[in-house]
Amino acid sequence: MKTPLNQALPTTRRGFLQLGLMGTATLALGSTVATLTGCSSPLEQNSEYKFLQPNDREFFAALIPVVLNKSFPGDLTHEAGIKSTLLALDDLIYTLQYHNRIQMRQLFDALAMAPIRVMAGASWASWKDMSHEQINDFLIGWRDSMIQPKRMGYVSLSKLIGMCWYSQPESFVSTGYPGPPTKIPTPVTKKINTSPNLSTAENS
Amino acid sequence: MAKKVFEEIRGISDPILEGISNGWVTLDAGDYSEHATLEADVAIIGTGAGGGTTAEILAKAGLKVLLIEEGPLKSTNDFKMDERQAYKDLYQENAGRMNKDGSMSILQGRCVGGTTVINWTSSFRTPEQTLQYWGEQFDTKGVSKGEMAPWFDKMEKRLNIAPWAFAPNENNAVLSRGADALSIPWKTIPRNVAGCWNLGYCGTGCPTNAKQSMLVTTIPSAMDEGSQLLYSARAERLIIENDKVTGIEVTALDKGYRPTGVKLTVKATTVVLAAGGINGPAMMLRSKAPDPKGLVGKRTFFHPTTFSFASFENEINPYYGAPQSIYSDHFQWDSVDGPVGYKLEVPPLHPGLTSVLLMGHGEAQFEELNKLPNLSSMIALLRDGFNDDSEGGSIELADDGSAIIDYEINDYLWEGVKRTHLTMAELQFAAGAKAVRAAHTEAKWETSWEASKAAINKLDYSASRALVGSAHVMGGMTMGEDLERCVVGSDGKYHYLDNLYVIDGSVFPTSIGANPQLSIYGMACRLATGLAEKLTGRT
Repeated sequence: MKTPLNQALPTTRRGFLQLGLMGTATLALGSTVATLTGCSSPLEQNSEYKFLQPNDREFFAALIPVVLNKSFPGDLTHEAGIKSTLLALDDLIYTLQYHNRIQMRQLFDALAMAPIRVMAGASWASWKDMSHEQINDFLIGWRDSMIQPKRMGYVSLSKLIGMCWYSQPESFVSTGYPGPPTKIPTPVTKKINTSPNLSTAENS
Repeated sequence: MAKKVFEEIRGISDPILEGISNGWVTLDAGDYSEHATLEADVAIIGTGAGGGTTAEILAKAGLKVLLIEEGPLKSTNDFKMDERQAYKDLYQENAGRMNKDGSMSILQGRCVGGTTVINWTSSFRTPEQTLQYWGEQFDTKGVSKGEMAPWFDKMEKRLNIAPWAFAPNENNAVLSRGADALSIPWKTIPRNVAGCWNLGYCGTGCPTNAKQSMLVTTIPSAMDEGSQLLYSARAERLIIENDKVTGIEVTALDKGYRPTGVKLTVKATTVVLAAGGINGPAMMLRSKAPDPKGLVGKRTFFHPTTFSFASFENEINPYYGAPQSIYSDHFQWDSVDGPVGYKLEVPPLHPGLTSVLLMGHGEAQFEELNKLPNLSSMIALLRDGFNDDSEGGSIELADDGSAIIDYEINDYLWEGVKRTHLTMAELQFAAGAKAVRAAHTEAKWETSWEASKAAINKLDYSASRALVGSAHVMGGMTMGEDLERCVVGSDGKYHYLDNLYVIDGSVFPTSIGANPQLSIYGMACRLATGLAEKLTGRT
C-alpha cells in the first residue's frame, strides 16, 4: 500500500499559497482545512497513480480540454487522452522535489474546496460541472492577476498540461510535427550483468 | 506539409552496454538489499562535465576511482528521440525544475554523464573578460587566458570540438540572416560532435553517439581503467571528522527516484564534489561542512534566458538539424560590469518543450502550436554575476534536505530582459518574419518591428509574466583566494577540509557569458591534473 502523501506533508504551510496577500492567505487556509477535515481525498489502495488523488484528477480532467483546446484529444478518444495525460502528469509531479511537490499539493487541496475556489476566482460548481467558459475565465483571471502566486499557478498548470500532452506522439497530428526517426536499438550479444557485483563490495 | 528527414536509425553501437558485457563494474544502488561499504582512492560525486573529465584523468594516473551518480544509467539504445521518455530518464525533476518563486524553469541533467548527455553541444572557451574579472575580484589564480589555453586545447582535442562545418538549419539561419541585415556580427558555434547526423535530437540523448558527451568519452575510458560506477545513488552527506572527509553516506534510489531505504557508505582517501551548482551546495549544507563565512550555496548563477518567437511564411522545421550553430556576442560586452550583457542563440523547438516556452493555453496557444513547422525562436542568455545588483541566488534546504533554489529575477535583470525582447524582435523581422511575439503572457503577435517595439515597451516585466528559463547552472562554491568571498582554492581544494576537492561549474565566481560546458571541461582538466600529480607524486 502506498503512503498517502498528505501524511508526509507538514500542516504549517508556506510558499505558494501563503504570501500574506488576501486571496492567497485564504487559499493557504483552505489547503490546511482540507487536510485537517479529511476533505482532501487520499490515494486509493493499489492506485495506478503515485501522487494525483481522485480530486486532483477530477480537477485536471476538467482543465485539460480547456488548456489544450482543439489539439485535444489528437489521435486518441477523449477518455484515452485524459487518461494518458493524467498518468504523465502524475509521473511528472511525483518526480518534482519536495518544495515544488508541496506547492502542488497545496494548490490542489485548496482548489478542491468550493468556498476557496470562489475566493480564488473560480466557480462554486465542482470542476467537473464547470463549463469550458468558466474554466477559461478562471485561467485568464490567474494569468492576468496582480498577485504573483496566482500567475505562478497559471503558468505551472498550463505548463504541466502542455508538457505532458504535446510530448505524446498522439498529439503530433495537431502541431504538424512529423515526429522523430524510428530508433532501432542494436542488441549486445554477450550476457549483460547490471546487478551489483557484491564481491567487490564489503558487506558490513 | 513538413516531412521527416530521417525515417530510421539503426546499426548504432551502445558503448555502455558493450563495456558492461566486457566486465565494467557498474553498480545499481537500487539493487542493494542491505547496507554495504565501498572503497576507492578517490570518490567522485557526480558524472557530468566535471566528474567525467576528472574520472578519466585520475583513473589514467593509476588511481582507483569510484563514480557516484544520483541519476540512472541510460545509454545509446535508450535514446529514442522521445521527449516524454527523455525528460523522465535524463532530466532533473522530469524537466520541471524551477526556482523558489516559480519565475524561472531550469533544465539540468540527471543521469550518468549529467547535463552533457542532454545539452545542445555548444562549446565555447571561457571569455577572457570573465577570466580577468575572476582574477581581479576573487583573487582566483591560474585562470588567465594564457594559463587556461592549454587546458582548453586539450579538451577541445579530446572531445572533437570544432566550429560546425555544415550549413545552419533554418532556425539558426534566422539569426545570421537577421544579423546580416542589421550589420550585427555573428559567428558559427563550435560543437563537441564526431560524425554528427544533423538530426536535431541532442536534447533527448544522442542516438548516434556523435555527441562527445561524458557518456561516450571520458566515462568509458575511466571504466576501462578499472573505475567503478555506482548509479541511482544520491550522496546524502559527507561524514566529517577533524577537517577531513572520512566517508560519504549514500542513499540508494529506486526506479521512481525515491529512497529504497538502503544506505551505502563510500570510503575514499580523497573526495571530489562534482554535483553541479544546485545539488553540490545542497549536499554541503546537509553535511554541515565547515563554512565560517556562510558562503556555501551563495552566488548561484543561471544565465537567465529569454525567448522571442517568430512565424515565417516558409517552413523552418525548428525541431530538425543541429540545434545550435549560430551565435552573436554583439550585445555581450558593451560593459563588463554595467547593465547586463547577453549572448544571442537559437533553441530547438520540439512540441513538448515549445508548449511550455509559449506560456499560454486555449485557442491562442493551439493556433501557435498548430503552425510549429513555421515557427522559429531566438534566445538571449543574460550574463549574471558581474554587477553589485547581480549577486546571484542561494541554495536552501527543504524539510527533507532537498535543494530549494532561491533566485530572484530582480529589476537589474528585468531591465535586461526587456532589452533582449527588443533586440530579438528587430532581428527576427530583419530576417523576414511575418509576425513576432515576445515570450510574455501579455504579448501578442505583432506584424511589424515598429508595432513590436511599441508593444514591448508597454509590457509589465515581473515574475510569471515574462518567460525566463535556464539550462546553465553555475556558482555556489566560489573559487579564489579571497576568503571573504570564496570557499574553494584555486587548486580546487575546499578551503576548510583537507581532502575535499570541488571540480565542476559550481566553482565559477560568476556566470560564464557563454554556454558553460567547455568552461567546465577546461577547468576540470586543470584541477584534476593538479590533483592527480598531488596524489601520485608524479608530474
